[in-house]
Amino acid sequence: MATSEATADALNGTEDIIICRDVHKWYGNFHALRGVTTSVRKGEVVVVLGPSGSGKSTFIRTINRLEEHQRGDIIVDGIELSNDVRNIDAIRRDVGMVFQSFNLFPHLTVMNNITLAPMKVRKLPASQAEEIAEELLERVGIAEQATKYPGQLSGGQQQRVAIARALAMQPNIMLFDEPTSALDPEMIKEVLDVMRELAGSGMTMIVVSHEIGFAREVADRVMMFDYGKIIEEGTTEQFFDNPKEDRTKLFLSQILA
Amino acid sequence: MASGTDIPQTDSLPPPITERGIVGWVYANLFNSWYNTVLTFIFAAILVLTLWFGLGWIILESDWRVIATLGGNLIIGQYNIEKACPGQDCFWRPQVSLLLVSALLGMAWAISGDRVAKRIAIGVAVVSVAFAFLPYSLERMGLDVRLLLVANLPAVAAGWALARYTPLGSVRWIVILGVLAFLVTLVLLRGLPGVPGLQPVSVIYWGGLMLNLLLAVTGIALSLPIGIALALGRRSHLPVVKLLCVVFIEVFRGVPLITLLFMSQVLVPLAFPEDFPTNSLFRAGVVITLFSSAYMAENIRGGLQALHPGQAEAARALGLPGWQTTMLISMPQAIRNVIPAIVGQFISLFKDTTLVYIIGMLDVLEFGRAFIQGNVAEYLDGTPEFLLFIALVFWVFCYTMSYVSRRVEEHLGVGQR
Ligand SMILES: Nc1ncnc2c1ncn2[C@@H]1O[C@H](COP(=O)(O)OP(=O)(O)OP(=O)(O)O)[C@@H](O)[C@H]1O
Ligand SMILES: [Mg+2]
Repeated sequence: MATSEATADALNGTEDIIICRDVHKWYGNFHALRGVTTSVRKGEVVVVLGPSGSGKSTFIRTINRLEEHQRGDIIVDGIELSNDVRNIDAIRRDVGMVFQSFNLFPHLTVMNNITLAPMKVRKLPASQAEEIAEELLERVGIAEQATKYPGQLSGGQQQRVAIARALAMQPNIMLFDEPTSALDPEMIKEVLDVMRELAGSGMTMIVVSHEIGFAREVADRVMMFDYGKIIEEGTTEQFFDNPKEDRTKLFLSQILA
Repeated sequence: MASGTDIPQTDSLPPPITERGIVGWVYANLFNSWYNTVLTFIFAAILVLTLWFGLGWIILESDWRVIATLGGNLIIGQYNIEKACPGQDCFWRPQVSLLLVSALLGMAWAISGDRVAKRIAIGVAVVSVAFAFLPYSLERMGLDVRLLLVANLPAVAAGWALARYTPLGSVRWIVILGVLAFLVTLVLLRGLPGVPGLQPVSVIYWGGLMLNLLLAVTGIALSLPIGIALALGRRSHLPVVKLLCVVFIEVFRGVPLITLLFMSQVLVPLAFPEDFPTNSLFRAGVVITLFSSAYMAENIRGGLQALHPGQAEAARALGLPGWQTTMLISMPQAIRNVIPAIVGQFISLFKDTTLVYIIGMLDVLEFGRAFIQGNVAEYLDGTPEFLLFIALVFWVFCYTMSYVSRRVEEHLGVGQR
C-alpha cells in the first residue's frame, strides 16, 4: 500500500490524492455539475457547503463513480476514473462512503454489515474480518452491539456502524454526504466525535455538512457550491471570517441565523 | 440502547378494568359499538346453526365408506395395481420415498430452533403410524406395508440423530440431501429397466395425492429460482434479455393454466429433440413450473422495486460487484418482503395440480371422482363426504405452508423495525 502511494505521488509530482479538472455531469438535460475544478491533498479534511440542489451530493458521488461524469477528468489516488470496470472497482475499494440515510443492510447483523465487503471484496478470511470489525466497533464506541440488527439501534449508533463499515475496507479516502442531517440533535455529537477522531488520525475526508462548528474546528478547507459550480473555496478561517462572494455571505448568514 | 433513557416506572398506572381480562376483551372486541353488537349476534347465530346442522349431519347421516374403500389408493392412485406392476407389489416404492421425507423432516427438526419443523416431523410420523393400525384386513393391507409405515417413526429419529451428531446437520446439507431424495424418489417410482424389483412403472399409473405432491414439489422447487432469473432478466439493461423475459412472463400469465396444460400435450414435445423421452407427467410438470415461475417473477420484481435505492448504492460503494450486490443485498431483502405473495403462489400452485385431470391424469380428486362414477349404485351418495375429505386434506397442506411462512417471516423480521 505505502509503496504504491509513494509511486503515485512521485508520478504526479504532488501529494494531491483527488484531482478534478473541469468536471461536467448531466442528468438527462439537467446540467448538474458545470465545470468543477479542484483538488484535495492527502490527509486534508474538506467541508462542502451549498444550498439544496447545488450539486454537492452529485459532486462527491462522482468521486467514487456512483454517478458517472460526462466531461472532464477525475483522478483518485493515481487512478483515472473511466469506464474501465477494473478502475471503478479499485476506486471503490479505496474510497469509503457514508450516507445521510445510513443505508445499513437491514437483513444482516451489525457484525455482518461490517465484515461483508472485506470478506467478499478483499477476500479476507472470516476470522480476520471479524477481528477488524471488532476493533472498528470499539473505535466508534459500540462494541457491545455487534450481534444486533441495524433496526434495533438508534440513528446515531447506525451511522457509527456505517462509518465502521466503510472503514473496514481500509480506504484512503472517506466521503460523507450529510452524515448527521437525519439525526436527532442529541445524536449528532456522537457521530461528529467519531468523525473528529478520524480526521485526527490523518484520513483524507470530504464532508458535505452544514455543521459549521464541526467545519470550523476540523476542516482544513471549505468549498461553497452553487448551481453546479464551486463558487468559493478557501482555508477554513479565510472562508468563514472573510468570505469574498456575496452568495457565500448570504448563505452563511442564513445557516448561522 | 446505550443513549436512550429509561422511562420512569413510578408514575405508570394499571390500565382501566375494561381493557383487561376476558370481560375486557369481550367488551372491547365484540360489543364496543351498536353495529359491532349486531354483527356479533348475527355471526353467533350463523355459527350455532352451522354447528347444529353440520355436526348433526356428520354424526347422524354421513357415510364415509367411500373413503375407507379408496383407502391407500387415494395416496398412490393406481400405482400398485396388477397392470401397473405385473407380478410384483410396488407399494414399497412410494413408501420408501415417504421414509426419506420423514428423515429429512427429522434433520430439519434437529437444526431449526423453531417448533415448526418439530411439529411437522412429528405430525407426519404420527399420521403414518396411525395409518399402519387402520382396521383393514391383512389381504388389503399387508404386514410389510404396515411395517414400512411404522418405520417413519424411526426414520424421523434417524434423521434427527444424523443432523445432530454428524456434520450433515446444516441447511446446505439438508437442501442437497433433499434434492437427492427427490431424484431417488423419481428413480424409485419410475423404476429401472433390468433391475430386479425395480421394473418400470408407466407414469399413466402414477396418481392420487402422490401425483399432486410430486407436481407441487417440482413446481415449488423450480419456480423460485426460475422466477428469480426472470425477474432479474426483466430488469436487465440488455434489451434482448429484457424482451425475452417480458414476453415469457406475459405469455404465461396471460393464458389460463388449463389451456396451457392442454397445449402442453402438443407444444412441449416441440421444444425437445424428437427422440427425447417425454411423457404426459413430464409435460404437465414443465407447464405448471413455467406458469408458476411467471407469477413468481412478478412477485419478486415487486419486492425488488420496493427496495430503497440506497441499499444497492451502499453495496456498490463498498466495492461489491453488481451480481454480488444483487445476490447478497437486494435479492434477500426483496424475497423477505414478498414472502406472503410467494407462499400464496406456492399454495395456489399446489391446488392447481388438481387440474391435471384435464390431460387424463388421476390425481387425488379425479381418482376418487372416477371411482365414484364407476360405482354409482354403491357410492354416489358418498360424494359430499368424499369432497369434504379432499377439502380437508388440501386444507391441511395449505395451512401448513401458510403457518411455516408466518414463522419464517417472524424469524426474518428480527430487527426489521
Ligand atoms: N438521479 C437524478 N436524476 C435527475 N436529477 C437529479 C438526480 N439526482 C440529482 N438530481 C438533480 O441534480 C441537482 C443536484 O442534486 P444534488 O443531490 O447533488 O444536490 P445537493 O447539493 O446534494 O442538494 P441537497 O442539499 O438537497 O442534498 C438537483 O437539482 C437535483 O434535482
Ligand atoms: Mg445532497
